[in-house]
Amino acid sequence: MALLEVSDLRVSFDTLDGRVDAVNGVSFSVEAGETLGIVGESGSGKSQTVFALMGLLAQNGTASGSIRYDGREILNLPEPEMNRIRAEQIAMIFQDPMTSLNPYLRVSRQLTEVLMHHKGMSQRDALDESIRMLDAVRIPEARNRVHLYPHEFSGGMRQRVMIAMALLCKPRLLIADEPTTALDVTVQAQIMDLLKDLQQEFGTAILLITHDLGVIAGSCRNMLVLYGGRVMEYGATDDLFYRPSHPYTRGLLHAIPRIDHDGAQLATIPGNPPNMLNPPPGCPFEPRCDFATERCRTQAPPLEAMNDGRLRACLRAPEELA
Amino acid sequence: MVVDKQKIRKLADNLAESEVRGRSLWADARHRFLRNRAAMTGLVVLTLVVLFSIAGPWISPWNYEDIDWDVLEDVATLGRPSLENGHYFGTDDLGRDLYSRVIQGTQISLMVGLIGSLIAVVVGTLYGAIAGYLGGRIDGFMMRLVDILLAIPGMFVLILLMVMFGRSIVMIFIGIGLLSWLDMSRIIRGQTLSLKQKEFIEAAVATGVRPLTIVTRHIVPNVLGIVVVYATLLVPGMIMAESFISFLGLGVQEPQTSWGALINEGTKTLQHGMEWQLLFPLGFFVVTLLSFYFIGDGLRDALDPKDR
Amino acid sequence: MLTFILRRLAIAIPTILIIIVLSFLLMHAAPGGPFSADRKLPPEVLANLEAKYDLDKPLPVQIYNYVKRIVVDFDFGPSFKYKDQTVNDLIASGFPVTLTYGFWSFVVATLIGVGLGIVAALKHNSWLDYLATGTAILGSVLPNFVMAPLLVLLFTVYLQWLPGGGWEGGQWQYIIMPVIALATSYLASIARITRSSMLEVLNSNFIRTARAKGLPSRTVILRHALKPALLPVLTSLGLSFVGMVTGSVVIDQYFSTGGIGQHFVNAALNRDYSVIMGVTILVGSLTILFNLLVEILYAWIDPRIRY
Repeated sequence: MALLEVSDLRVSFDTLDGRVDAVNGVSFSVEAGETLGIVGESGSGKSQTVFALMGLLAQNGTASGSIRYDGREILNLPEPEMNRIRAEQIAMIFQDPMTSLNPYLRVSRQLTEVLMHHKGMSQRDALDESIRMLDAVRIPEARNRVHLYPHEFSGGMRQRVMIAMALLCKPRLLIADEPTTALDVTVQAQIMDLLKDLQQEFGTAILLITHDLGVIAGSCRNMLVLYGGRVMEYGATDDLFYRPSHPYTRGLLHAIPRIDHDGAQLATIPGNPPNMLNPPPGCPFEPRCDFATERCRTQAPPLEAMNDGRLRACLRAPEELA
Repeated sequence: MVVDKQKIRKLADNLAESEVRGRSLWADARHRFLRNRAAMTGLVVLTLVVLFSIAGPWISPWNYEDIDWDVLEDVATLGRPSLENGHYFGTDDLGRDLYSRVIQGTQISLMVGLIGSLIAVVVGTLYGAIAGYLGGRIDGFMMRLVDILLAIPGMFVLILLMVMFGRSIVMIFIGIGLLSWLDMSRIIRGQTLSLKQKEFIEAAVATGVRPLTIVTRHIVPNVLGIVVVYATLLVPGMIMAESFISFLGLGVQEPQTSWGALINEGTKTLQHGMEWQLLFPLGFFVVTLLSFYFIGDGLRDALDPKDR
Repeated sequence: MLTFILRRLAIAIPTILIIIVLSFLLMHAAPGGPFSADRKLPPEVLANLEAKYDLDKPLPVQIYNYVKRIVVDFDFGPSFKYKDQTVNDLIASGFPVTLTYGFWSFVVATLIGVGLGIVAALKHNSWLDYLATGTAILGSVLPNFVMAPLLVLLFTVYLQWLPGGGWEGGQWQYIIMPVIALATSYLASIARITRSSMLEVLNSNFIRTARAKGLPSRTVILRHALKPALLPVLTSLGLSFVGMVTGSVVIDQYFSTGGIGQHFVNAALNRDYSVIMGVTILVGSLTILFNLLVEILYAWIDPRIRY
């Protein structure tokens, strides 16, 4: 049994301008200790997928479908029960370390409160454990710096604090929502290495959300490609990288800047992600797809298994995409 | 009245940004505003009040200053609202037709609101834009002056102006307008400071356009959105300030009147059992201000939809 | 922190001085004012004025003496109207009254306003929210001069529970209506500001983090959301304070409470400039000091402010 099984997850929001379907029937699973990468452009529904998972949707959002953690249904769990899963079983780190820590509280308070609440530790024990965790995420002089305010740390250091905070209760699943997007490139690599090391140390499964394919390539066995709130392709990272079977995956791969190609121009995918207020009736990628046919406009492609075990949602056969 | 400044500032940022990027913000906003039921109701009610203040006199046999000698002997009973003698809202304690007086008061109060905020907005925008554009010491000095003026209790100064220079409607316009430009100037200065960094301003500077021309041609048009919204939010404050002054008997002069003066007169005859003399002007005052609030709120929500 | 306070004081004190000088000049320039020849003053008053304002000396000396007298001796000079009264006398008799009902209005407006705003934000889009927001919107179109007659109509004329005016040394029956009348519109503003700021904080990233940590919602709100949500409210308190002092003009007039506002209006009608200026300077200085206090509190609460 997988640690996490998401099936047919749907998330929609009631806004002033109407109903927005952000996630439309997404399914995937994460094994214990494994890393699954989720890629997609902004607005592809990747963040809302994990917010639904953590019960953190905005107030006007509703989620349906099924999310099983360790065999137990956790979607739309009442808040008190969800609070026992958060931090203890599933923890999360966020995209923007600048704004994701409370600027008005000392880092020590923000760390110890987790241990004191979930583990019933005393203030002193919690502080010691917090300092140990800050050491583990390689924050130098943790004992002195634990009492600082978040704004006294650099961006990379703040993300380390976030990671330490998420790992305090040794959760079995860590959700990392674009953990490196807001950071400098050199710091990005450090944070990714840190995550990998910690994963080994604690045996945590990681759900890594990113729009950076390079990050996925370096750390995920499996990956899921989202577009317009739907799964486009889902399978082993190697398969998807070397033999992309979906026009969108191919477009993404072509858009990676590479040093070893001296082509003058970087390929982009023309057009913009669909307006989720008025999603196209057929394949969401159809308006931007080079291979689109009349059928793609009206008929949404089902997610179907291929021979190598991967899943893809495209009406055109892989051989036709030359 | 305290305008929520943080909201305004955020709104200003949002507007200026989309203005520069040329997004279809205004079209979206109009769409949202039209679907905001409270704001649309406010707009309809306000339109009705304005129409009433224009067309109301046609259906009244009385004007606002003539005394009806027939009711004067016992205004508390004969002066009750009645359709028969043409006093639809009754009369005041001096036997004058309250319906016509309410119309007069509505005209004056609305005018004070509009002209006062117009003055505040023009002065505040120019001052803020100039300070922000010139920057440096001059900016520091100009803003220091605003700080000092903000610390002086405005209502006291207004009372003082009325006493020193005589009570006149023009003085009210000017006084109220001049007291309210300070916040406007601060917001506009902030916007100007960020606009100054933008390429099109730098280009204008580089090609030798005169500073005043830059301010009026490039900066002011780009902050016009927030100016319009802020003006709408200012109107109820203006009306309140005028009513406050007139309530104290320091505002418009007899036989002219305004909502505040009418409310003041109404309160004095309460003990004679002439509630209508208070409740009619009070009703108009409250309903109109409520309309302005709903319109203002609707505008803000329409232009800054993130903030819900 | 101390340097921060000192630096702020270094701005606030000259500001107060400038206000004093400005008022003196205004008083000097006023048509029909005490210093213009066209006004006949009683000889005793004129003698008082000449002694206090050094009318025979050049203007800069007059200014210097006026400022010095206020700052050093806290002496605002004699009244222009009444020969045996000084501005200090009037302030001493009116200010305690204004402070009493002003203080209670401030407490009522802040506590209830903040409470309403928080409840509305926490129960966003529920009937409680609509009720609180509705109350706040209605309250914001009921300024003191509207509330005062309505309260009298209800409590004095119809119910006959409370006396329609007077002060009587500040017994509670006489305080209630002034406090409600003065507090209502500010209560409404504070509730609106609290609600929108609380909503914004609740939607912020760090609150999402706090919730992701599995903390009970009570902890999330009290420990993480309350402080940042109240900062904008704190900023707005300065304006409310000024508004309430200004509102005393209406309260005193309507309820005959004899506070500072009454003296101000009387002085304005009598062109008693020294009283007008004394009250204006006093209120202006209090405003500046109050805003200074707010700023210090703000800096103390928000660790990101460097000083």
